[in-house]
Amino acid sequence: MKILTCPLNGPRNIAEFTYGGQVKPMPNPSEATDQEWAHYVFYGDNHIGVVREWWMHTPSSYWFIVERHNQTDEVIRTYDPAELFDVGASPAAEPTGADS
Amino acid sequence: MSLRSPLEGIGVVEGPAGLRLSDLTLAHREGVRGAGAREWLLSQGHALQDAPSQIVASGELGLVMSLSHREFWLLQPDSEASTGRPASEAVAAGVWPFYCQHSHAWLQLAGEPRAEIMAKLCGVDLSEAAFPLGSVAQTQVARVSVIIAAHQSENDHPVFSMFVDQSLARYLWEAIEDAMGEWLE
Repeated sequence: MKILTCPLNGPRNIAEFTYGGQVKPMPNPSEATDQEWAHYVFYGDNHIGVVREWWMHTPSSYWFIVERHNQTDEVIRTYDPAELFDVGASPAAEPTGADS
Repeated sequence: MSLRSPLEGIGVVEGPAGLRLSDLTLAHREGVRGAGAREWLLSQGHALQDAPSQIVASGELGLVMSLSHREFWLLQPDSEASTGRPASEAVAAGVWPFYCQHSHAWLQLAGEPRAEIMAKLCGVDLSEAAFPLGSVAQTQVARVSVIIAAHQSENDHPVFSMFVDQSLARYLWEAIEDAMGEWLE
């Protein structure tokens, strides 16, 4: 069984987690063109390297961020989203750990 | 409208060494959440630990269980649940009521082998050395999401309180009862 360390709950079986997609900047929904919005919703970078991803610990409904190498599946770090986002601010951040 | 437990009619499972599985679903509990929840609870005179995932006795009959830095459940195992309609307005600035009374069933497991029983169902080590009194785990038991809290019962016996979605209460009860089987023979 793979183990992932939740920043709130500690190390847990991977079966307790749900993948939430790549962390990427969201365009302003009221100003983005259809093409920009479609790109945001449907496209990912798909590069090999360290990626920054949303994961949720399902039993506690707690969303957090994982930096993971998508070739070796090595988890570099997990942390609370407050490290990236101001509370109340729109989620928009480039993955600094990605080597794309 | 009266409240009903999804475990109504099942009764209590008892065995040697103080082993006991009981239904506390109709006991009183309520919750608060929000950025100001912690400060509000402290201002109300409740005892709180600094870190989340802890449960502490607070007041004469109650316990405060923290599930995160912003969510707290107030448990009163000896008081009956209120049947009143829950409030929908903020308790205070940044503090909102949370209706754990209606969403979750409350099972309680007491007895010497409780951690060994739970080891059959749960990946988290719940032995007293790894999961001392006052600990809380939000995890899976028999593959469904459960909150487990280790605390002293009203009789000063160590127990696990477990909270599970009401619709899964019978399934979880049967899974725990099955795991207790070898101690009940």
